[in-house]
Amino acid sequence: MSEPLLRIEDVGVTYGKGATALSALRDISLDVRSGEVTLLLGPSGSGKTTLLQVMGCLLRPSQGRVSLHGQALHALDAEALSALRLAHVGFVFQHYNLFPTLRAWENVAVALDLKQFPPRQQQAAALQLLERLDMGNRANHFPAELSGGQKQRVAIARALAGKPGLILADEPTAALDGKSGQDVVATLQALAHRENCAVVIVSHDPRVEPYADRVLHLEDGRLVDDRRRHGNQA
Amino acid sequence: MPPSPALIGTSLLAWRNLSHDRARFIVTLIGVGFAVLLMGVELGLLVGFARTTSGLVDHSRAALWITPAGTTNVDIAGRLDERRRFQALAVPGVASVGKLMLQFGFWKKPDGGNESVALVGFEIESDALQPWNLVEGRIADLQQQDAVIIDRLYADKLGVKAIGDTIEINSQRARVVGFTRGLRTFTQSPYVWMTHRNALAYSRYQPEQTTYLLVGLEPGADVEVVRHALGERLGRVDVWKRADFARQAQKYWLITTGAGSALLLSALLGLVVGIVIVGQTLYATTVDRLPEYATLRAMGAPASYLNRVILKQAAISAAFGFSLGTLAAYVIVAISAYGNVAVIVPWWLLVVLAALTVLMCAFGALISIRRLVRIDPSSVFA
Ligand SMILES: Nc1ncnc2c1ncn2[C@@H]1O[C@H](COP(=O)(O)OP(=O)(O)OP(=O)(O)O)[C@@H](O)[C@H]1O
Ligand SMILES: [Mg+2]
Repeated sequence: MSEPLLRIEDVGVTYGKGATALSALRDISLDVRSGEVTLLLGPSGSGKTTLLQVMGCLLRPSQGRVSLHGQALHALDAEALSALRLAHVGFVFQHYNLFPTLRAWENVAVALDLKQFPPRQQQAAALQLLERLDMGNRANHFPAELSGGQKQRVAIARALAGKPGLILADEPTAALDGKSGQDVVATLQALAHRENCAVVIVSHDPRVEPYADRVLHLEDGRLVDDRRRHGNQA
Repeated sequence: MPPSPALIGTSLLAWRNLSHDRARFIVTLIGVGFAVLLMGVELGLLVGFARTTSGLVDHSRAALWITPAGTTNVDIAGRLDERRRFQALAVPGVASVGKLMLQFGFWKKPDGGNESVALVGFEIESDALQPWNLVEGRIADLQQQDAVIIDRLYADKLGVKAIGDTIEINSQRARVVGFTRGLRTFTQSPYVWMTHRNALAYSRYQPEQTTYLLVGLEPGADVEVVRHALGERLGRVDVWKRADFARQAQKYWLITTGAGSALLLSALLGLVVGIVIVGQTLYATTVDRLPEYATLRAMGAPASYLNRVILKQAAISAAFGFSLGTLAAYVIVAISAYGNVAVIVPWWLLVVLAALTVLMCAFGALISIRRLVRIDPSSVFA
């Protein structure tokens, strides 16, 4: 098997200090590989978001080692972590986090700008990404003029700018109705399978499970189950 | 396909952040504009005052001014004896020496009221100093015995309406034969131009006395060398290069009257007001948009990218506010041309104002930048 994109070894995260210290993750070890959809399940407060933040280089763990693309995280400062995110990670959020004053294509173009795309090519590249998510005809709309599902597709287009190897999505369907939720997950799955991305999805949503290649269960900060699913929906 | 975009990246974010909240943007622009206007008018007044105090010197053709010893400004001086003129003419490098008399006098208006005036007696055949900006009458008319020229700005104050009006100066009859426009006096005793000969008659000077000697140089003569030689030769007088005497007059009036520091202080106040307004409104915009900055940071934007957004907002505010402020300042400049106090904004003052505006907006941006340093990108998941 190939070298994993993301390797997490004996990771623990403790929030706060002393009497109020709270252990949000304990002894987590896992690998995330390209081309797979990993679903992260667990009750509220079990540490799913915290783990996603560790995976996305937003949070340096209190214990253990994390490496992304073979690059160890613990030695890096905030700016270096941010550079690593820029190069390898795309985020998709429950509440989309689009820039409300920018049009759909401009939202995507900002991500391209961050990745130092030549200014003259940004608009065309942004439109191409929106086309891929079937949002080409909404490129000039502002987020407030789009439905939840459409917003999330713009957000995914933005996350895909610059072809990151790792897509992390925290409850991407929680604010969407059944059909649009399913579309969003199907899109993420297609990314993993066709473009060889590693996709990690945190979700409570039972509609997501059929699209996952692998399901992780967190409970009270521990990884209690790690299953591969076979014959998942393609 | 949408039209080709003019703005992209940080410029786009900066522009939309500002223009999205139009009311706040307008407040920012008015704030910056007002600060620029305040600074422009105060500094323009300073320039206007400075030019007024040294106007006679600046408009003279003389390379050197010989003044009574201890003279501190052009409006108040003692007397020189005319033999100094012949001593000066004997110094190598000196081509010409003109006489200039300056004396306070009493002006009795046609309706009887009194005003203090400054009699300026110049040699009509010399070009060392002549009244400038003549708008009515001819300088040659001053050859007549009782002829004077005054400035239009002070015609009302002096109770004069038109050429031909007669008044009294130091109880002797005088007649207005012409008007200049825009020759102000800092002392508020208007200049009354006349020939040196007439000036002697109106004042209590002895016929062989004058106030200043204005020295013209031979071509190629070294100003500094001649100045030194004149000092040696004449003793007990001061010899100034024209620009030095002008600067001395400006310093004297702006410092002794406190006008200089008062104007500088108000200009500084304008700067502070501007910084506070820009800082305040930019910061409010930044705080409103913290989640978006956190998103950018989570997406991997370096801190410098966020700072660029803020600095561009500051730059946009600076550019628009500066345009607004200078436009308003030039309206005041235009109006002041008809008043006793001149507000003058030369091109170099515009450059100074632009620099102060940039400074103001950069300082205003600092508060926002300091806030963004502490932003936590993981707050995007909150
Ligand atoms: N910034 C923080 N500071 C302190 N404690 C935190 C912080 N973020 C999370 N926690 C705590 O860590 C634990 C794990 O939180 P986390 O957000 O990872 O849970 P989660 O599984 O994502 O929950 P949910 O399903 O409700 O989103 C919780 O007890 C939470 O209160
Ligand atoms: Mg969560």
